[in-house]
Amino acid sequence: MTVTSNAEPARRRRLALLSGERWATPITVLGLVAVVQIASMIAPPYIMPSPLTILETLYGVLTTETLDVVATLVRLLIALACSLVIGTLLGVIMAMVSPVRPYLRALIVIDTGIPAVSWILVAVFWFKNPEHRIFFILLVILVPFYALNILDGIRAMPKDWVEMYESFRPSRWQVFRYLIYPHIVPYILMTTKSVFGYATRMIIFAELIGAAVGAGARMGMAQATFHMDAVLAWTVLLVAFTLVAQYSVELLERRMLKWRPEAELR
Amino acid sequence: MLTDKPIIKIQNVSCKFGDFLAVDDLSFEVRPSEIVALVGKTGAGKSTVLNLVMGSLRPTQGQVQVEGFDPASSSPELRGKIGVSFQNDRLLPWRTAIENVEIGMQILKVPPDKSAQQAADWLGRVKMETARDKYPHELSGGMRQRVSLARALVIDPAILLLDESFSQLDPVTSVELRKDVAALVRSVRKTCLFITHRIEDAIEMADRILVLAPPARIALELALDDQARRNPGSLREQIEKVMQ
Repeated sequence: MTVTSNAEPARRRRLALLSGERWATPITVLGLVAVVQIASMIAPPYIMPSPLTILETLYGVLTTETLDVVATLVRLLIALACSLVIGTLLGVIMAMVSPVRPYLRALIVIDTGIPAVSWILVAVFWFKNPEHRIFFILLVILVPFYALNILDGIRAMPKDWVEMYESFRPSRWQVFRYLIYPHIVPYILMTTKSVFGYATRMIIFAELIGAAVGAGARMGMAQATFHMDAVLAWTVLLVAFTLVAQYSVELLERRMLKWRPEAELR
Repeated sequence: MLTDKPIIKIQNVSCKFGDFLAVDDLSFEVRPSEIVALVGKTGAGKSTVLNLVMGSLRPTQGQVQVEGFDPASSSPELRGKIGVSFQNDRLLPWRTAIENVEIGMQILKVPPDKSAQQAADWLGRVKMETARDKYPHELSGGMRQRVSLARALVIDPAILLLDESFSQLDPVTSVELRKDVAALVRSVRKTCLFITHRIEDAIEMADRILVLAPPARIALELALDDQARRNPGSLREQIEKVMQ
């Protein structure tokens, strides 16, 4: 009878399990919870409350401050959707109408150089209605990401494809509908994924300064009344939302880009 | 059957890129149902001539006419008249094989059910019926080239342009595909202008061979019939002599 050791394969399996993408986020979250727990045992509650206290406050936020949660999410989703449409259109216009390109591009690049705080302060002066303020702030901050990425995407389209497609003598609309649009879908999804976290941070900032309802306004209030547990509860909620949103876009990406082979580096 | 009225007419055409003269006072004609091979070494200007016929380039001097129209400017008249199979397959990665074949018909606004039927028929003719729902990255080089050929032929073009369509394939696939294409082009009796640097491709497929020497002028013109093809060694020798 031959005895073989199972220790090495078992160790490899454990390592593979730990390094698996599926477990990376839960393991990191558990690590952070442990760090907060340890910190809460050392620091007073107004500096670092325990994870359990944060969880209880989070439950309270979800049950009693639902309007603020919904307001932030709706604002964020509407602004993201509008930025996606406007930014994509601007990117396509810049790519397809060459005389307009340098002017639009210059305008967008100047916009990217304006600090977010400037836009927030300007919006407070320009718009009386908080909804308009927040929508405007998110729009001016997010549109350039879409516009420039889409422009780059279209310019990166292989010339060979254009030459092949144009050999059939399509109309300009057909070029957009059947060649450009499918080509820029990955760029739209990639931009959406990368701006989600940024947009969430921006909306909190904008609500903190320019609104009375919403997560940012509530967090401002919690900070002013020394409720660290509420600040962290809102933070947890926003992080959870960002993760869910990122995952949703990834699912959409897997569905819409099933034609794309996934490269795996060794 | 060949008629006298040319379908492609190139008259005293010159084409310059900056100071570089790619085509110098070139003239030739292609008649309906004729298969003409443009043979020449790399840099002889073969691709430039094909681009002029396709309309993606304008001549600096002279006139290019396809069915009596200038291919570089008369877009609607020539819509669906020219099918091109390129050196590399140029399949769109987000479309399956059958969807790639349907590109031209989509542009010509053929009803979707008819378009799907015709695309499936042509995939069958290029021996690709089993790969109809596969994406380009799931196909080999030879398979992709076959799909690309079906894409060019499915619109029933008056003229087929083949741009070194077999040059990037391995020798075995290239020979097999060349035979299939020759049979296919002859069976549908398409006017075909194809460019190649491989003399054997030209001898096997063409009714007429135009040997180009830089900057794209005709150094030798050979009309081929079955009798001439029986002695490919001698033809090859003549062409090689001019190409050197």
